Amino acid sequence: MKDTTQRRPARAARISSEGTMIAVIALVAGVVLGLVFDPTVPAGLQPYLPIAVVAALDAVFGGVRAKLDGIFDDKQFVVSFVSNVLVAGLIVYLGDQLGVGGQLSTGVVVVLGVRIFGNVAAIRRHLFRA
Amino acid sequence: MTAPDGRTPAGRMTVGPAPDVPAPDGAAVDRDGRRTFTPDFLTELFRNPLDPGYAAAAERKARGEGPTGAARKVISGITALALAALGFLLVVAYQQTMAEEPARSRAHDELVDQVQNRRAETVRLQNRADRLRAEVAALRERQLGGAAVARLRDLEAAAGLAPVRGGGARITLTDGPTPVDPLTGERETEAQVKDTDLQLASNALWSGGAEAIAINGQRLTATSTIRQAGEAILVDVRPVTSPYEVVAIGPDTLADGFRDGYAGRFFRELANRYGMRFDAAEVGDVTLPAATDLNLRVASPSPAPSRSGAPDRSSTGGG
Repeated sequence: MKDTTQRRPARAARISSEGTMIAVIALVAGVVLGLVFDPTVPAGLQPYLPIAVVAALDAVFGGVRAKLDGIFDDKQFVVSFVSNVLVAGLIVYLGDQLGVGGQLSTGVVVVLGVRIFGNVAAIRRHLFRA
Repeated sequence: MTAPDGRTPAGRMTVGPAPDVPAPDGAAVDRDGRRTFTPDFLTELFRNPLDPGYAAAAERKARGEGPTGAARKVISGITALALAALGFLLVVAYQQTMAEEPARSRAHDELVDQVQNRRAETVRLQNRADRLRAEVAALRERQLGGAAVARLRDLEAAAGLAPVRGGGARITLTDGPTPVDPLTGERETEAQVKDTDLQLASNALWSGGAEAIAINGQRLTATSTIRQAGEAILVDVRPVTSPYEVVAIGPDTLADGFRDGYAGRFFRELANRYGMRFDAAEVGDVTLPAATDLNLRVASPSPAPSRSGAPDRSSTGGG
């Protein structure tokens, strides 16, 4: 570990491009799986689907930004992805039970939207230096 | 977060309560005993949207504590799985939304279709009812003949079951100006004709000897209602609008009597004060239609059955 500082940029770049490839392939595989199986969502879960998507997008943009910042961490990404989706769904479920489901969904979307916006702005600064 | 890392001089620790413990109001008491306020949740959210876990993980990695070798491979695999799940989720959500869209417009189209079908059905049934009614009248005329039919017709005309023709009076009431209040945006409805006005007009006409009355072509019967529903006036549950024409068939003095009576004075006063328009005129020859929704409510067999054996239904106040 002594001389890692010397080799680090090259190694990091290699890992990064490899990881990106895997990520893209995995994403495409997921899309293909969805298209092939064309699953029907149970009626009870349908209200949570849009919220789950927004929560997942938040985790993804956070991950992309971390990647560009050079501090991406697999475990952190997976945990934030899963917990985001679950917590968002849980909040909306709770809201439904309390009769404020619509308002709570709006709250969740606003908070996640702000985060997505901030992370996308950071990504933009990385990519375009502006 | 902005929590200062443990570089607190040990000697100062005793000053005040434990440092870095946020008070219930979000304030933390720092080393010097001053209260500093950490950014609240929303400020923090706007300022730093990235999960702090990434920075912590990077720090761990820099210290060489991160997972290595096989564990790392496994975690990368899980990341790939998570991304696959993401793609799956996106596709499912997209297809779900797309599948719901036609369902929504389909429901709308179906409703429109249903309304139109029902309307056509109503027209068809109405025509059939008219035809059958004419048939019934013709048959009855043939069966009863002469005086009985004449008597029946008189009764029907009086009850509102048959159209009637004759001279009488035409009372016209028109809403006055209803300006919109520039401040509140509400319409002033003082000068509008109310249901009570139409009730007053019809009652005055009845008491003046009218034999048949129609409001905007809606024949009044013994059970007719004139009611207000919001800004609309309903005569027998059908809306009528300004100008209101109350046409009555009755004696020649009907219009004059109305004008000089209590109702006439009342409407003239309304016209003067609110700008409603009121007019009572004599009419020579008008036709009032039959009432539409008259239902037979009470029927009793005739005391003397006719020869054909069919019970002769006599309507008693069926309306």
